[in-house]
Amino acid sequence: MLILFSITTQAQTTKEPWTDSQLMPTKELADQINTAGKSQPLIINIGPQAVIKGSADVGPGKEKTNIKALEKMLAKQDKNKEVVIYCGCCPFEKCPNIRPAFNQLKELGFTHAKLLNIPQNIKVDWIDKGYPVND
Amino acid sequence: MKKLSTTYFLLFTLIIGNDLNAQGNQIQIGSLAPEIALPTPKGDKVMLSSMRGNLVLVDFWATWCAPCVEEQPELKRLYSKYNHANDAGKNLEILGVSLDNKKEAWEKTIKKFNIKWTQVSDLKFWTSPVAKTYDIQALPYNLLVDEKGYIVALNLHGKELESFIDKYLQPK
Repeated sequence: MLILFSITTQAQTTKEPWTDSQLMPTKELADQINTAGKSQPLIINIGPQAVIKGSADVGPGKEKTNIKALEKMLAKQDKNKEVVIYCGCCPFEKCPNIRPAFNQLKELGFTHAKLLNIPQNIKVDWIDKGYPVND
Repeated sequence: MKKLSTTYFLLFTLIIGNDLNAQGNQIQIGSLAPEIALPTPKGDKVMLSSMRGNLVLVDFWATWCAPCVEEQPELKRLYSKYNHANDAGKNLEILGVSLDNKKEAWEKTIKKFNIKWTQVSDLKFWTSPVAKTYDIQALPYNLLVDEKGYIVALNLHGKELESFIDKYLQPK
C-alpha cells in the first residue's frame, strides 16, 4: 500500500507542463504548412536546429539566454496566436529543451501554446515521413 | 520505339529497386559498412574505409545528446585499453561521427573529454545524410566494423561492448 502511494506521489510530481490537447500531431502541422492560404501558426525551434519549413530559430531551451530570446521573439505577438514549439533531438523523456520553453510559453500567457508531438526525434517523426523541411 | 521505352523503364525500375533493396539490407551484421567520408574539426576528410585492418567502433553521437556525452569517458577507457597492436595484430580504432550542428559545441566537448580518436561531422544535425544511410533511429548508436569493413556488431554499450571487443581482439 505504501509502495503504491509512493509510486502515485512520484507520478504526480513528474507531471508534464503540457496537457494531451496541447500536443500537436506532426501530420496536422505538416498539412497546415502544405496548405497554401491556411492560417499558419508561429513555429519555433527550441532545439539544436530549425529543421521544419518556415520555423523560427531560438536555439536549445535548456539555455537561459535562449529562453530570453523566446520571450523577446514573442513580445509583440497576440496572446491568442497559435504558437508551436519543437525540439526533436531526443525522446521527450530525455529532452532537456522542451520543458523550460513550454513553461515560458505558459508563463507568457499564450492561450494556444502547442508542443509538437515528436515522440522519438525529428528524423524519424518528421524528416523520414517526407514532411516539409527548411532548405 | 514503345518497346524500347518499356525496356528502359523496366531496366530503370530494376536498378532503382535493387538500389533500394541494397539500402534496406545494408545495416546488419555481416554486411559491408557503407562508406563514411566526412571532415574532422580541422577540415580533413576521413574515410571509414581508410581504417580497415582494425576493429573499428563507429560511434554516432552529439553534444546535445546527454547519454552520448555520458558514454564518452567509457569509450575513452576502452580506447586506452584496446588501442594498441596486440599479439594477433588487431587493434581497436574509434570513429566518432557527430550529429552536431554547432562546430563550437562539438570542438568544446572533444577538448573537454580530451578525445584522442578521430572525430568527423558534416554539422547537419538529424538532416545529415549519414543518419539516413545508417538508418539511425536514436542516439547513442554504434556499430563495430571488422578489419575488412564488415559489420560485426550493432549498438552494444557498457559491459556488452567491452566484452565483445575483448573477445574479438583475443589472439586466436
